[in-house]
Amino acid sequence: MNEPTFWRTEIWHPLSVHFPIAILLLATIAISIAGVTRGDQKFFWQKAGSYLLYLGALSAWVAIYTGDMADATVSRKICDPTVLKDHEIAAFNVAYLFSAAAMLNILINVNILKLWPKLLRLLVVVLMVIGAGYLTYAGHLGAQVVYNQAGGVNMPASDCAGF
Amino acid sequence: MKITKMLLPALVAVAPFFYSCEQKTDVVESGTYQGTLHEVEPEKNEIYVKTDDNKLLELYFTETTTLTKNGETVPFAELKEGGKVEVEVEKTGQRLDPVAVRILE
Repeated sequence: MNEPTFWRTEIWHPLSVHFPIAILLLATIAISIAGVTRGDQKFFWQKAGSYLLYLGALSAWVAIYTGDMADATVSRKICDPTVLKDHEIAAFNVAYLFSAAAMLNILINVNILKLWPKLLRLLVVVLMVIGAGYLTYAGHLGAQVVYNQAGGVNMPASDCAGF
Repeated sequence: MKITKMLLPALVAVAPFFYSCEQKTDVVESGTYQGTLHEVEPEKNEIYVKTDDNKLLELYFTETTTLTKNGETVPFAELKEGGKVEVEVEKTGQRLDPVAVRILE
Protein backbone atom coordinates (compact mmCIF):
# COMPACT_ATOMS: atom_id res chain seq x y z
CA MET A 1 0.00 0.00 0.00
CA ASN A 2 1.35 3.40 -0.97
CA GLU A 3 -1.04 6.18 0.11
CA PRO A 4 -0.47 9.73 -1.19
CA THR A 5 1.44 12.06 1.14
CA PHE A 6 -0.90 13.92 3.49
CA TRP A 7 1.42 16.77 4.47
CA ARG A 8 1.24 18.60 1.18
CA THR A 9 1.86 22.39 1.01
CA GLU A 10 -1.82 23.18 0.44
CA ILE A 11 -2.87 21.26 3.57
CA TRP A 12 -1.44 23.86 5.97
CA HIS A 13 -4.16 26.35 5.04
CA PRO A 14 -7.21 24.29 6.12
CA LEU A 15 -5.26 23.27 9.21
CA SER A 16 -4.69 26.89 10.24
CA VAL A 17 -7.70 28.75 8.85
CA HIS A 18 -10.37 27.39 11.19
CA PHE A 19 -8.79 28.95 14.30
CA PRO A 20 -9.33 32.58 13.18
CA ILE A 21 -12.81 31.73 11.89
CA ALA A 22 -13.92 30.50 15.31
CA ILE A 23 -11.89 32.96 17.40
CA LEU A 24 -12.84 36.11 15.46
CA LEU A 25 -16.55 35.27 15.39
CA LEU A 26 -16.45 34.62 19.16
CA ALA A 27 -14.52 37.88 19.65
CA THR A 28 -17.20 39.79 17.72
CA ILE A 29 -19.94 38.25 19.86
CA ALA A 30 -18.05 38.92 23.13
CA ILE A 31 -17.23 42.56 22.29
CA SER A 32 -20.81 43.14 21.13
CA ILE A 33 -22.16 41.72 24.41
CA ALA A 34 -19.75 44.01 26.30
CA GLY A 35 -21.38 46.92 24.51
CA VAL A 36 -24.81 46.19 25.97
CA THR A 37 -23.84 45.05 29.50
CA ARG A 38 -22.66 46.95 32.59
CA GLY A 39 -20.37 46.53 35.60
CA ASP A 40 -18.55 43.23 36.13
CA GLN A 41 -20.27 41.57 33.18
CA LYS A 42 -19.12 44.34 30.84
CA PHE A 43 -15.57 44.06 32.20
CA PHE A 44 -15.58 40.27 31.68
CA TRP A 45 -16.91 40.35 28.11
CA GLN A 46 -14.66 43.27 27.16
CA LYS A 47 -11.60 41.47 28.51
CA ALA A 48 -12.51 38.10 26.94
CA GLY A 49 -13.40 39.75 23.62
CA SER A 50 -10.16 41.74 23.58
CA TYR A 51 -7.95 38.68 24.09
CA LEU A 52 -9.91 36.74 21.47
CA LEU A 53 -9.58 39.68 19.08
CA TYR A 54 -5.78 39.90 19.49
CA LEU A 55 -5.36 36.14 19.10
CA GLY A 56 -7.79 36.02 16.18
CA ALA A 57 -6.15 38.92 14.31
CA LEU A 58 -2.75 37.27 14.70
CA SER A 59 -4.01 33.88 13.55
CA ALA A 60 -5.78 35.55 10.59
CA TRP A 61 -2.37 36.63 9.26
CA VAL A 62 -1.05 33.09 9.77
CA ALA A 63 -4.01 31.84 7.69
CA ILE A 64 -3.23 34.47 5.02
CA TYR A 65 0.35 33.21 4.91
CA THR A 66 -0.66 29.54 4.59
CA GLY A 67 -3.33 30.52 2.05
CA ASP A 68 -0.67 32.19 -0.06
CA MET A 69 1.36 28.97 0.13
CA ALA A 70 -1.65 26.92 -1.04
CA ASP A 71 -2.54 29.40 -3.79
CA ALA A 72 0.39 28.43 -6.02
CA THR A 73 -0.70 24.78 -6.05
CA VAL A 74 -4.48 25.13 -6.04
CA SER A 75 -4.70 27.89 -8.70
CA ARG A 76 -3.02 25.62 -11.25
CA LYS A 77 -5.57 22.82 -10.75
CA ILE A 78 -9.02 24.29 -10.19
CA CYS A 79 -11.40 25.21 -13.02
CA ASP A 80 -12.33 28.71 -11.81
CA PRO A 81 -9.45 30.51 -10.04
CA THR A 82 -11.53 33.73 -9.99
CA VAL A 83 -13.39 32.26 -6.98
CA LEU A 84 -10.04 31.75 -5.28
CA LYS A 85 -9.09 35.36 -6.05
CA ASP A 86 -12.35 36.64 -4.53
CA HIS A 87 -11.66 34.40 -1.51
CA GLU A 88 -8.19 35.94 -1.19
CA ILE A 89 -9.51 39.52 -1.45
CA ALA A 90 -12.22 38.84 1.17
CA ALA A 91 -9.63 37.19 3.45
CA PHE A 92 -7.33 40.23 3.22
CA ASN A 93 -10.30 42.46 4.10
CA VAL A 94 -10.94 40.25 7.16
CA ALA A 95 -7.32 40.50 8.30
CA TYR A 96 -7.13 44.27 7.78
CA LEU A 97 -10.47 45.01 9.45
CA PHE A 98 -9.80 42.88 12.54
CA SER A 99 -6.20 44.15 12.76
CA ALA A 100 -7.51 47.74 12.66
CA ALA A 101 -10.07 46.83 15.35
CA ALA A 102 -7.32 45.22 17.48
CA MET A 103 -5.02 48.25 17.14
CA LEU A 104 -7.84 50.64 17.99
CA ASN A 105 -8.85 48.47 20.95
CA ILE A 106 -5.27 48.50 22.27
CA LEU A 107 -5.03 52.29 21.89
CA ILE A 108 -8.29 52.69 23.86
CA ASN A 109 -7.30 50.18 26.57
CA VAL A 110 -3.88 51.75 27.23
CA ASN A 111 -5.53 55.20 27.35
CA ILE A 112 -3.70 56.65 24.37
CA LEU A 113 -7.03 57.47 22.78
CA LYS A 114 -9.04 59.27 25.46
CA LEU A 115 -11.35 61.30 23.30
CA TRP A 116 -14.90 59.99 22.59
CA PRO A 117 -14.37 56.57 24.29
CA LYS A 118 -17.93 55.37 23.62
CA LEU A 119 -17.73 56.34 19.96
CA LEU A 120 -14.37 54.63 19.56
CA ARG A 121 -15.64 51.45 21.26
CA LEU A 122 -18.57 51.53 18.86
CA LEU A 123 -16.12 51.91 15.96
CA VAL A 124 -14.30 48.75 17.16
CA VAL A 125 -17.61 46.84 17.16
CA VAL A 126 -18.51 48.18 13.71
CA LEU A 127 -15.12 47.15 12.28
CA MET A 128 -15.53 43.68 13.82
CA VAL A 129 -19.09 43.22 12.55
CA ILE A 130 -18.04 44.20 9.00
CA GLY A 131 -15.01 41.90 9.40
CA ALA A 132 -17.30 39.06 10.51
CA GLY A 133 -19.38 39.64 7.35
CA TYR A 134 -16.28 39.36 5.16
CA LEU A 135 -15.20 36.34 7.23
CA THR A 136 -18.47 34.56 6.44
CA TYR A 137 -18.14 35.47 2.75
CA ALA A 138 -14.49 34.34 2.63
CA GLY A 139 -15.47 31.06 4.30
CA HIS A 140 -18.27 30.54 1.78
CA LEU A 141 -15.87 31.09 -1.14
CA GLY A 142 -13.26 28.84 0.48
CA ALA A 143 -15.87 26.11 0.78
CA GLN A 144 -16.76 26.59 -2.90
CA VAL A 145 -13.11 26.12 -3.86
CA VAL A 146 -12.92 22.89 -1.84
CA TYR A 147 -16.36 21.32 -2.36
CA ASN A 148 -17.18 22.51 -5.91
CA GLN A 149 -13.71 22.47 -7.43
CA ALA A 150 -11.82 20.02 -5.20
CA GLY A 151 -9.15 22.65 -4.46
CA GLY A 152 -6.40 21.16 -2.27
CA VAL A 153 -8.11 17.76 -2.34
CA ASN A 154 -6.34 14.61 -3.44
CA MET A 155 -8.39 12.86 -6.12
CA PRO A 156 -7.94 9.09 -5.86
CA ALA A 157 -7.88 7.04 -9.07
CA SER A 158 -11.19 5.39 -9.99
CA ASP A 159 -9.72 2.00 -9.07
CA CYS A 160 -8.44 3.43 -5.74
CA ALA A 161 -4.88 2.56 -6.71
CA GLY A 162 -2.47 3.59 -3.98
CA PHE A 163 -4.87 2.79 -1.14
CA MET B 1 -5.51 64.87 22.86
CA LYS B 2 -2.84 65.78 20.33
CA ILE B 3 -2.03 62.16 19.54
CA THR B 4 -5.74 61.38 19.16
CA LYS B 5 -6.10 64.14 16.64
CA MET B 6 -3.15 62.77 14.69
CA LEU B 7 -4.04 59.07 14.87
CA LEU B 8 -7.67 59.11 13.87
CA PRO B 9 -7.20 60.91 10.54
CA ALA B 10 -4.16 58.69 9.92
CA LEU B 11 -6.25 55.53 10.44
CA VAL B 12 -8.92 56.82 8.09
CA ALA B 13 -6.34 57.93 5.53
CA VAL B 14 -4.60 54.55 5.25
CA ALA B 15 -7.82 52.53 4.98
CA PRO B 16 -8.15 52.87 1.16
CA PHE B 17 -4.56 51.69 0.75
CA PHE B 18 -5.40 48.53 2.72
CA TYR B 19 -8.34 47.89 0.43
CA SER B 20 -6.43 48.45 -2.79
CA CYS B 21 -3.70 45.91 -1.99
CA GLU B 22 -5.53 43.11 -3.78
CA GLN B 23 -7.11 43.42 -7.22
CA LYS B 24 -9.66 41.40 -9.12
CA THR B 25 -8.36 39.68 -12.24
CA ASP B 26 -10.01 39.09 -15.62
CA VAL B 27 -10.75 36.00 -17.69
CA VAL B 28 -10.32 36.23 -21.47
CA GLU B 29 -10.86 33.82 -24.36
CA SER B 30 -8.03 31.62 -25.64
CA GLY B 31 -5.70 33.63 -27.85
CA THR B 32 -2.65 35.86 -27.98
CA TYR B 33 -2.49 39.11 -26.06
CA GLN B 34 0.08 41.84 -25.64
CA GLY B 35 0.58 43.85 -22.50
CA THR B 36 2.92 44.91 -19.72
CA LEU B 37 4.07 42.92 -16.72
CA HIS B 38 2.10 44.34 -13.81
CA GLU B 39 3.59 41.97 -11.23
CA VAL B 40 6.10 39.12 -11.24
CA GLU B 41 6.16 36.48 -8.48
CA PRO B 42 9.24 34.28 -9.07
CA GLU B 43 8.60 32.03 -6.04
CA LYS B 44 5.29 30.94 -7.58
CA ASN B 45 6.31 31.18 -11.26
CA GLU B 46 3.40 33.54 -11.62
CA ILE B 47 2.90 36.77 -13.59
CA TYR B 48 0.20 39.41 -13.83
CA VAL B 49 -0.15 40.92 -17.27
CA LYS B 50 -2.03 44.16 -17.91
CA THR B 51 -3.27 43.86 -21.48
CA ASP B 52 -3.48 46.75 -23.91
CA ASP B 53 -7.26 46.84 -23.41
CA ASN B 54 -6.70 47.21 -19.64
CA LYS B 55 -7.51 43.67 -18.52
CA LEU B 56 -5.48 42.07 -15.73
CA LEU B 57 -4.51 38.45 -16.43
CA GLU B 58 -3.14 36.25 -13.65
CA LEU B 59 -1.01 33.53 -15.21
CA TYR B 60 0.62 30.60 -13.45
CA PHE B 61 3.33 28.97 -15.52
CA THR B 62 2.79 25.27 -16.15
CA GLU B 63 5.37 22.60 -16.94
CA THR B 64 4.76 23.18 -20.65
CA THR B 65 4.78 27.00 -20.71
CA THR B 66 7.55 28.34 -22.92
CA LEU B 67 9.32 31.59 -22.15
CA THR B 68 11.29 33.18 -24.96
CA LYS B 69 13.05 36.41 -25.92
CA ASN B 70 14.07 37.02 -29.54
CA GLY B 71 13.17 33.40 -30.27
CA GLU B 72 15.46 31.93 -27.59
CA THR B 73 14.40 30.28 -24.37
CA VAL B 74 15.22 32.40 -21.34
CA PRO B 75 14.90 31.80 -17.56
CA PHE B 76 11.98 33.18 -15.51
CA ALA B 77 14.33 35.78 -13.97
CA GLU B 78 14.30 37.62 -17.31
CA LEU B 79 10.75 38.79 -16.58
CA LYS B 80 10.76 42.29 -15.08
CA GLU B 81 7.84 44.36 -13.88
CA GLY B 82 6.91 47.00 -16.44
CA GLY B 83 8.33 44.94 -19.30
CA LYS B 84 6.35 44.39 -22.50
CA VAL B 85 5.25 40.81 -23.21
CA GLU B 86 3.09 38.80 -25.57
CA VAL B 87 1.22 35.89 -24.02
CA GLU B 88 -0.56 33.00 -25.67
CA VAL B 89 -3.19 31.67 -23.28
CA GLU B 90 -5.53 28.72 -23.30
CA LYS B 91 -8.79 29.06 -21.43
CA THR B 92 -9.76 25.89 -19.56
CA GLY B 93 -13.00 26.44 -17.68
CA GLN B 94 -12.32 29.87 -16.18
CA ARG B 95 -8.61 29.15 -15.77
CA LEU B 96 -6.02 30.71 -18.04
CA ASP B 97 -3.03 28.51 -18.77
CA PRO B 98 -0.11 30.31 -20.42
CA VAL B 99 1.06 28.29 -23.42
CA ALA B 100 3.80 30.73 -24.45
CA VAL B 101 5.20 33.96 -23.04
CA ARG B 102 7.36 36.09 -25.31
CA ILE B 103 9.37 39.00 -23.91
CA LEU B 104 9.10 41.90 -26.35
CA GLU B 105 11.29 44.51 -24.64
